[in-house]
Amino acid sequence: MTWKKRFLRITHLLFAVLILIQFLPDRSTKEVFTGSLLVFAIAAEAVVIISSFFIKKEEGLSLLLDIAGFIYVFLIIWTLATAKFNILNDMLFPAPGKVIHQFAEDKEKILINIKSSVGIVLQGFLLAIIVAIPLGLFIGWNARLGNAASYITKFFSSIPPIVYIPYGIALLPTFRSVSVFVIFLATFWPVFAGTMSGVLGVDKKVIDSAKVLNVSKPEMLFSVILPASLQQIFLGCNQGLSVSFILLTSAEMIGARDGMGYYVKYYSDFGDYTRTITGLLVIGFVVIAVTFLFNKLQSYLLRWKR
Amino acid sequence: MSTNKIEIKNLTVNYTENKKSFNALHDVSFGVGKGEFVSVIGASGCGKSTLLSVLEGLYTPAGGRVEIDGKELHGTGTERGVVFQHYSLFPWMTTRNNIAFGIKQARRDIKKTERLKIADEFLHKVGLDGFGSKYPSQLSGGMQQRAAIARALAMNTEILLMDEPFSAIDAKNRVILQDLLLDLWEGDGFEQRKTVVFVTHDIDEAILLSDKIVVLTAHPGTVHEVVQVPFERPRRREDLIKTDEYGKFRNKLLSLLYNDIAERIGGEEVVL
Repeated sequence: MTWKKRFLRITHLLFAVLILIQFLPDRSTKEVFTGSLLVFAIAAEAVVIISSFFIKKEEGLSLLLDIAGFIYVFLIIWTLATAKFNILNDMLFPAPGKVIHQFAEDKEKILINIKSSVGIVLQGFLLAIIVAIPLGLFIGWNARLGNAASYITKFFSSIPPIVYIPYGIALLPTFRSVSVFVIFLATFWPVFAGTMSGVLGVDKKVIDSAKVLNVSKPEMLFSVILPASLQQIFLGCNQGLSVSFILLTSAEMIGARDGMGYYVKYYSDFGDYTRTITGLLVIGFVVIAVTFLFNKLQSYLLRWKR
Repeated sequence: MSTNKIEIKNLTVNYTENKKSFNALHDVSFGVGKGEFVSVIGASGCGKSTLLSVLEGLYTPAGGRVEIDGKELHGTGTERGVVFQHYSLFPWMTTRNNIAFGIKQARRDIKKTERLKIADEFLHKVGLDGFGSKYPSQLSGGMQQRAAIARALAMNTEILLMDEPFSAIDAKNRVILQDLLLDLWEGDGFEQRKTVVFVTHDIDEAILLSDKIVVLTAHPGTVHEVVQVPFERPRRREDLIKTDEYGKFRNKLLSLLYNDIAERIGGEEVVL
């Protein structure tokens, strides 16, 4: 990449605009914490510039710069609409600096809530895939069971997992165990269905090729059928993962004492919309981060595909 | 005939497709001697691949039997290595791991480090040095078949079954692969040579490689004739195809194949 391509980007211009508009007079009646916004923006720009030195691929750099550019535009509009021109109701719409300030103030509390939410999702999710994948492999491989099982799976996966919550509450002692149970169900059926359809779709030539090698039954299931159906399994996992977060945050808003859904609901009940928006944005980042890591794992495990 | 490594006796195979059953092979009998390279040729649909599926143990015949070393064949077995036209290799394993996995299946006693060493050795033999950590999807069709051959040879089975291994390869690479297979097989020395059953529709390929050619006719597949290939080993393609005998022999095989076609369409003019 040339020097120009690396550093002469519109993103940096947007950064400059974002900084410059901070010097306009404030019209909001509330505190706007311009300092917090400046710290955040400069930190973001520093990350972008340092990364610009090191990122080797052009697409990767462009992606980073586009995302940064989008964030800057978002912050520019947000600043103008709140702090600078006070177009929106400043009770419901805090200035960006205020949200960033709030995040910094609450970061320990937020971290605890993130840990709680992500912990529950991971526990339910991992438990589900540990059970669903071997079971799907085994039942899918015994093809006669596979047909009946796919109808049964269709039935159970068509029940929205959220309706299990009341029954879960009757069944299990704590909020945490109910949440894990519901996420387990929400992940189990799509992963199980994905595994079975993966197994049933494995190319006969691949199976023949394994048969003539005389592979043992466990090897057939775990060294041949499992990798051959991995893509379908991941489809199910992705579905389970995204539903899990929706379910968990909903559940947390109903009956939890921690978690990100609880944080949002609790403070909006008090009319603290700065914290509400902080919570919303944090949930977005957490879900994106988990999905990103999971997609990395997926492309690593499927690296043999073209 | 008890000296034969593989004995095929009155083999009959019925195929069921869309609930209709038809006779794919009818009363097929021939033997393959130890260390013999036998090709099975015939027009498409003559059941030559079905015959190989039976030898692989993937298909159970309706009648007759296959014996290996005098014992009736049931299912797949570690004494047979197989190379298919497609998908012999597992796409999720690197070529080295594919070969090592094959070795593990055939010879359980060998340790992992040793298996990987043998895998590299055979990658070298087929000219794939430096491709051990590539996945099959990163290799050309010809290279994939090289790796498949390397795996079958590394498994060191007594019998090698090859189902049109080169027919999906472009003409230039096909020639290179045929020469490679010939070199590797002949290079084993007369005593250690593997018994090979090789299915093909390429007459020149069959002549170059085989000791004996089984010509099948279609509908149902039956043995039309078994022909000994009269050329000395070691063979070299360039020397072989120059001789008059080669042309004559080739014509003989062609007429065996196409007489059958002419008979079947009832003497109508054949446009080829």
